Amino acid sequence: MRLGFAGFTMLRIALAVLLITPSFVSAADPAPDAKAVEFFETKIRPVLVENCYKCHSEDAEKQKKLKGGLKLDSKASLLKGGDTGVAMVPGKPDAGKLLKTLKYDGEVQMPPKGKLPDSVIADFEKWIADGAIDPRGETGIKLAAGIDIAKGKQFWSFQPPKEPSVPQIRKSKSEIRNQIDSFIHAKWDEKGLTPAALADKRTLIRRAYFGLTGLPPAPEDVDAFLADNSPQAFEKVIDRLLASQHYGEKWARHWLDVARYAEDQAHTFGVKPKTQAWRYRDWVIAAFNSDMPYDRFVKLQIAGDMLPDAPDDPFTKFAGLGFLGLGAEYYRDAGCGLRADADELDDRVDTLTRGFLGLTVACARCHDHKFDPIPTRDYYSLAGIYAGTKLSDVPLAPPAEVKAYTDAQNNLKKTEAALKKAQADAKAKPDDKTLPKKVKELTAEVAKLKKEMPPPLPVVHVVSGNGSGMKILIRGNPTAKGDDAPKGFLQVLPSPTKSGSEFTRLDLANAIASKDNPLTARVIVNRVWAWHFGRGLVNTPSNFGALGDKPSHPELLDWLAVNFAKNGWSMKWLHKQIMMTTVYQLESRPDATNDKIDAANISLWRGTRKRLQVEDWRDTLLAVSGNLDKTPGGPTFDLRDANAKRRTVYAKVSRHELNGLLRLFDFPDANVTADKRTETTVPQQQLFALNSEFMVLQAKAFSARLEKLGKTDSERITSAYRLAFGRQPEKREIELAERFLKLPLKPDDKLTRWQQYAQVLLASNELMYVD
Amino acid sequence: MDFSSEFRVPRSALSRREMLHSSGTGLGVLGLAGLLADSGELVALPASNNPLAPKKPHFAPKAKHIIHLFMNGGPSQVDTFDPKPELAKQHGKKVDLKSGRKPGPLYKSPFKFSKFGQAGIEVSELFPQIGSCIDDICVIRSMHTNIPNHEPGLLLMTCGNTQAIRPSMGSWLTYGLGTENQNLPGFVVLCPGKPVVGPALWNNSFLPGVYQGCHIQNLDPKRVIDHIRNSNVTPDTQREQLDLLNQLNTIHNEKRGGDDQLDARIQSLEIAYRMQTEAQEAFDVTREPMKVRDTYGKGYFADACLAARRLVERGVRMVQVFYGSGQPWDDHSNVEKGHRTKAKDSDKAVAALLRDLKAKGLLEETLVLWGGEFGRTPTSEGANGRDHNSAGFCVWLAGGGVKGGMTYGSTDEFGFAAVDKKVHIHDLHATILHLMGIDHEKLTYRYSGRDFRLTDVHGTVVKDILK
Repeated sequence: MRLGFAGFTMLRIALAVLLITPSFVSAADPAPDAKAVEFFETKIRPVLVENCYKCHSEDAEKQKKLKGGLKLDSKASLLKGGDTGVAMVPGKPDAGKLLKTLKYDGEVQMPPKGKLPDSVIADFEKWIADGAIDPRGETGIKLAAGIDIAKGKQFWSFQPPKEPSVPQIRKSKSEIRNQIDSFIHAKWDEKGLTPAALADKRTLIRRAYFGLTGLPPAPEDVDAFLADNSPQAFEKVIDRLLASQHYGEKWARHWLDVARYAEDQAHTFGVKPKTQAWRYRDWVIAAFNSDMPYDRFVKLQIAGDMLPDAPDDPFTKFAGLGFLGLGAEYYRDAGCGLRADADELDDRVDTLTRGFLGLTVACARCHDHKFDPIPTRDYYSLAGIYAGTKLSDVPLAPPAEVKAYTDAQNNLKKTEAALKKAQADAKAKPDDKTLPKKVKELTAEVAKLKKEMPPPLPVVHVVSGNGSGMKILIRGNPTAKGDDAPKGFLQVLPSPTKSGSEFTRLDLANAIASKDNPLTARVIVNRVWAWHFGRGLVNTPSNFGALGDKPSHPELLDWLAVNFAKNGWSMKWLHKQIMMTTVYQLESRPDATNDKIDAANISLWRGTRKRLQVEDWRDTLLAVSGNLDKTPGGPTFDLRDANAKRRTVYAKVSRHELNGLLRLFDFPDANVTADKRTETTVPQQQLFALNSEFMVLQAKAFSARLEKLGKTDSERITSAYRLAFGRQPEKREIELAERFLKLPLKPDDKLTRWQQYAQVLLASNELMYVD
Repeated sequence: MDFSSEFRVPRSALSRREMLHSSGTGLGVLGLAGLLADSGELVALPASNNPLAPKKPHFAPKAKHIIHLFMNGGPSQVDTFDPKPELAKQHGKKVDLKSGRKPGPLYKSPFKFSKFGQAGIEVSELFPQIGSCIDDICVIRSMHTNIPNHEPGLLLMTCGNTQAIRPSMGSWLTYGLGTENQNLPGFVVLCPGKPVVGPALWNNSFLPGVYQGCHIQNLDPKRVIDHIRNSNVTPDTQREQLDLLNQLNTIHNEKRGGDDQLDARIQSLEIAYRMQTEAQEAFDVTREPMKVRDTYGKGYFADACLAARRLVERGVRMVQVFYGSGQPWDDHSNVEKGHRTKAKDSDKAVAALLRDLKAKGLLEETLVLWGGEFGRTPTSEGANGRDHNSAGFCVWLAGGGVKGGMTYGSTDEFGFAAVDKKVHIHDLHATILHLMGIDHEKLTYRYSGRDFRLTDVHGTVVKDILK
């Protein structure tokens, strides 16, 4: 480590993001030459950079640190050798001094800080024996050009979606209600599947309520729907739900997973708290509730401050910028600043490209993307749009108010500084009798200014300014700068603006939120589909590249994408199209014959039973017990407070320490964008249902609510089922309940039998899973 | 390998693409688990309902459990397990060590070293008890890490990355191996309060949430795990509640033609019920005979060491015991006093743990790791402290397939930088995984289009220390 840990560290960073080639991708196996290049890139080059370049490179020469006249940073100079002769002869490991030196076999022993591991020396031996394939250019900093963009554009997801012809279903097994059903039905026919029966109306209304609002229907809502025999009955339900404030609360949370929304940072040193992060959450909720066109939604999150037709209202204009403004900030002490800068840019590129485009562009940080047509240069073209931009706060107040506040703050700071100086002076010069008086006056002044301080301004946390552009960082190493990477968009995708120094965030926003972009519409309609059905048409919603899943219904995906854009990028339009279909309305029972063909239900021959997301489960417990506080928006609350009654979307989300309830029930880590949630079933979750204070509070409230809803146990049990499950209890369920309620109370129990029973219902599977 | 029997996954339940992945490509069981979990389909399938079920390692493991005694803050190597006579000789001399910090002059160890065990390995007077166990211990004197600061240092040691963006080793292990006792968490972290950085040190990150370390601050059995105890009804009443819940859930499931995820939750409720008593019992060190407790000594750390033994005895995969909250070993000033106090507090407990494990026949299958996130400078900071040092430090391993009575690698003449047989933290991780039966290059998780692993693209198993 005597060579200084900085360079060493940087290289580790570079390698840290190296893509590890998955062993199972046989289709993408590189050709022999490519394999040799990869061997060099993974086994040889990193060792040279890490251990040798400091004294044996062009840079070292420029800094007058070159040793032995030997440069190892280009193919030509390596072959040329140094002062003591030939370093290496391709194909002949025994010739040349390089290997001998590495083996510490002789007078010159390199690297000086210690012999490399035997496995590394063996790699060098193999490399030389195999012909010393070295893709580096003549000057050492040129990168090999390897990606054929034109060829890359042939991949399905880079082809513009075309409106497909809708399949004609001659003999339909179920009602074809719109084009979506035709595509789905065609797949059933192809696979020999018979669709499940339609779900009954009770099941359907619960599915719709939870799906659009994350809350259960009230018993009266169910009754009204059952009583409505008109053909429009379900459409009316959808329209009502889409108009409810709860729709935005539910669907914003889906997007917040993608936006890796949180209010703090994973590490603790030197992080400025984002006290008003919640405004971004409220902005997303408002965007969904107002059915903001998705292309607009994208543009405002990338460049709301720059749009020529930006909204006047500063909240709508700026708050969406929290998408990146609330991004990761990394540890930057002890010489980690450059690395932190690079990592923060990576967070932005990653969230932006996976989130909006379904592309894993961050894989191209250290080398050209191994599977998708994304050269490293493109990565830095995007990163350059943000290089040097600032994380800042935009006040949401009239200029006069802002000025008054800043003036008051500055004045306070000035006075405090004066006070500090006066105190120091007074200490230093005890004889000066004027000083104590001055200290007293200034102390009073500071107190007065503090008292008169206007309340903190409402602000939103944003990324501001335009990036300076970047050079390629070779192998992701922030200190190894290569060629220019002019600011711009991915070469494989169309962009209305050419790359170059004038390229801005606005150009980026326009390139993404464009109907000519083959990915943007496809990616979002697929996300919405996945959030409804539990599985996307592309089952890797944030990866539409070669390693992502192929679409199960490619024509349907294109039909949705094209028509979504045609219909004003309207999310509410999309929901309605999906929910009005037969396929949305199928019951979720298994079927032995179909299971043999498609047990995973990829062809959607039945409905999907889903566990409620943790937010919806908690909200439902509150709603059923009558405790739910529906107040929308505003500062976050702490879920550790068992008495908190607001919807879970308004709870604090932490990167540092995610709340235990959220974590327990598979809420995603907010340090990175999440495309879907894993789902696990573990006993600690059930301990929450059995023992937590929150559960007990809801059980008590539910029991108290039921007491007023009937005179007999049987009446109250019926009310309980209507509230909790939207149905009447069966006879055997009433009997089981009555038997339980008649059990004698034990002296040490602090809950009545009714409260215990209420808790059982709240903890039940029927409350947690939606058919 | 027959994946379908391993996971009891009906072939038909796999999509075509997944079939492609799973058939004839040499992809290990673990990889398939990751693939399925990542594709979100693991959950809907029968056996996969329990992501913590024990899984087969890549090869026969030497160790089944790990106890990591984390001396957070960074103990000084030259004052503990790495004697440096040259340092004493040149005491007071100015040297340029390029530590990345601001070193003072060379500062000799205030502690005497003497030889222990048949191996005759030198250990400082701080640890006479641990010294007496030296024949079971392998001291690695050539550790090095990346950055001489706590946050990145702690994260690298626990998660293999200097930023808080990767799963911890315990999460990787429980993901890869599951755990043997379903009534206890598979990965337990014992720390009163929080170490620097905090929960990211045992974070699951992109792995499913079940692989997160279970942080236990207070060893009071009634409070060890969130919601472990019901303070409102008696156990008998809770049993009655659970019986009713079971009946209602069964009716619900039957009406739906049977559904694995519904079944899984019914079973999970039963496990939770049992967990209440078993977990409380497992953490309850007062159930140990007094003479055993006496060998460990008193205080949180001693109790935590004893609890760690009780936990691995009951099948917990990994127990990480932090010496204390904050960064207790961080003796920037008066290293003599600071180290003496902490050593006095921990020497007895650590040695008792080793002896106890050995007596119970558990040491062979339990790997014990002792060490900090980095070392300290052989130069002084201020009058009598020592600064952070990432260039060289030592850790030791015992049990679990590691040779005892040996030292491995060395630092330079002053004990500043590792020079011979250097072992980076990635190498340590690779070695630990190897001992647990895992090829560190094959334990991967597909996330966001890439396969991640604990050692990233690094790590070499230190073969010379293996039995």
